[in-house]
This record gives sequence, structure tokens and C-alpha cells, in this order.
Amino acid sequence: MYQGIAHRTAFLLTGSSADAEEAAQTAFVKAWHALPRFRPGAPFKPWLLRIVANEAHNRRRSAGRRAALELRATAAQPPVDAAPSPEGAAIGREARELLLAAVARLDERDRDVLTCRYFLELSEDETAEVLGVRRGTVKSRTARALARLREEVGE
Amino acid sequence: MSELERSLVDLGRELDVPTEPDLVPTVLAAISPRSERRALPPRRLVLALAVLVLAALGATLAIPDARSAFLRIFDIGGERIEVVDDLPEVPVRTALEATLGERVTLEEARRESAFELRGLDAEPDRVYIGERGTVWFVYGTPSRPRLLLAQTPRLVADEPALAKKLAEQGTSVELVDVDDAQGAFLSGDPHFFFLLDRQGRVVEDGARLAGNVLIWDEGGVAYRLEGDFGREEALRLARALRPGI
Repeated sequence: MYQGIAHRTAFLLTGSSADAEEAAQTAFVKAWHALPRFRPGAPFKPWLLRIVANEAHNRRRSAGRRAALELRATAAQPPVDAAPSPEGAAIGREARELLLAAVARLDERDRDVLTCRYFLELSEDETAEVLGVRRGTVKSRTARALARLREEVGE
Repeated sequence: MSELERSLVDLGRELDVPTEPDLVPTVLAAISPRSERRALPPRRLVLALAVLVLAALGATLAIPDARSAFLRIFDIGGERIEVVDDLPEVPVRTALEATLGERVTLEEARRESAFELRGLDAEPDRVYIGERGTVWFVYGTPSRPRLLLAQTPRLVADEPALAKKLAEQGTSVELVDVDDAQGAFLSGDPHFFFLLDRQGRVVEDGARLAGNVLIWDEGGVAYRLEGDFGREEALRLARALRPGI
């Protein structure tokens, strides 16, 4: 049930398919052993994803590599009735690649909060739980990261 | 939601994430009773742990004298203390600041930390946030620190040791009580201090020589006080730490 989101989280945070698989796998094992300490009634997804994020961070730091290196945007398939011209499609693809490259240039904390909030579409509360920070920190970090991103993409 | 935020959501939905591998067989194998730690006699368990730690250290740092015998092992306050008969040859970082992390203000440290920081009445002269969310308070300057206080949150129930110390027989390891928590006071010869990742592997490429240290674990946070003090002074300082600094 949670395998997909765990793997996606690990991949987006590590930027490596190999590290993502290991991180997700280890996280499930650790979550299993940590289950007795899971607070009944608390949301399970952010609790699990926090363990996944910890594993992902460990692997990323051990490898000393920037995340997002393997991230690529797919060639999105627009609805048939809204299909843009070839020129329009090329501009859209270029804009996505520029935005992705700009996200990759952000520092780790900014990138992580944007990844949680927008790529994983987690709420502020869920992001706070996953990243192990307060909700206020998520808000301030998100605002700061978006401001930096606007500078990067020249919006 | 702004245009930029909408673009990020759209981008996230279009990211090319590899097909998720089937983790179920591996995870089930890992948590099945057969793979649980076998009930080794305590002495054999310690030896097995020592061999595992040696293997991790040797692989990561290529320590030439990994043959050094383990004399005692303590797991206290989130740290694993290993007393060996001979310290290995490892690169030692001499600049304290390089080992602490990113310098921040006290207010930033308060905001960034998911736990309540504790400190002495006097505010620290410098504050850093390092690996694993460790908040370092430096009293004095990095070149002449009078006191170091580290606070590291322990996030996961089965988390292994956060840090490792390698000490020789010249280092005294005394088990002490810090209020209701058990701790350890290390004094005498300097010892190596390594940060570990959650698999117990050394995550730094070098060690730091540390002086007298009091370590303990309280409320899910691992504390370490480091300075030129004796045991009683270290305990007095530990008990003087107050929350909400």
C-alpha cells in the first residue's frame, strides 16, 4: 500500500534509483521494528515517510552527491483536444527542464521542502513530520525556497 | 497557489520516476523470525558486534591496524564507546569548526530543531547545526573553546548508536547518573570521535580528537558535554542545563 509513495519519496530525495531502492527497503524494515512505538491514531504515512527520508538523507550524504541528478521530466502527453503545436510542446518541455535544473541548484534544505510540498504534494503538517521540523519552519523554508527559485528562473 | 507553485506540482507529476521495485520479498525476509538476531550468548554477541564494527571501519576508512583488540564496549547516551588496545591511524581534523556543521544564530537553531534546546544560563558564543540535526553550542571560540555542548535528536526507535568513540586504555570510562539518565564520563587520554550513520557506518572521512566528555541520553535527545573539566564539574554543568534557552 505504501510501497509506491515510499519509493517515490526515496527517489526524489536521493536522485538515484539504486539508493532509492535500498533506502525504501531499509526504511520498511526499520518501520516494522519501530511499530511498537507508533502512536495509535497518528497518521501513518508521514511517520513512515520520515523514516524513508532519514534513510534517503543518510545515503545521499554517504555518497556525497547532490540529489536530483537522475531526475528527468517525462515528455508529457497532453490531452488530444488540447495538444499544442510542435513549437508549443518544445517550449513547454524546455520550461520544465529549466525549472527542474533550477530546483536541483537549490541547497539541500530548500530542495527537500519543495520536493515534499510540491513533487510529493504533502501538506505542511505532513512535510513537517517527514523532515522532522516544525510547521512554522516548513512555511518559512518554503517561502524562502520559492523566492530563491524565482530568482533562478527569472520569474 | 502561485503560478510557480502550480508549475512545480505539474512538474512533480511529470517526473520520470523509475518503476518501483518489488520490495516485499526482501523486506519479508529481513523481518521474518528466522532472520531475527539469534540468541547468542552475551560474550559471543559482543564479539560478533566487534567484528561487524571492525569490518565497517576497515572498509570505510581503510584503517591499517584493524587488528586492534576490543577490550570494552559501552553503548551509552546514543554513543558507542569502544576501548581498544591501540588507536588506529586515521586522518584527524584539527579545525574544530570544520567538524561542527553550518554556523547559525541561536534563533535559527531554535527554529530548525524539532526538539527543545537546552543550555546554560549564558548564551553560547557560537551555534552550529551539523549532521543528523545535531545542534552544537560553543562557549568560547572554535580555536579556544571553553565548553562544547552537542544535542542530537534520536529519531527512530531502533536507531543504533549516533556516534562512536575509540579510546585507548589510557582513557577512563566511568558510568555515571545524570539525574535519572545513565551516562558516561570519559577522561584521561584524548580519544577519537566519529559520527555514524543509521547503519553504524562512519560518515566522516576523518576523526576529531576529543578531550574529557560527559555523554547521556534524555527524552530522546543525546547530549554530550566536552571540556577541560573533571567528572563532578561536568555533572554540575549537565544538571545546570535548562530547557527553553
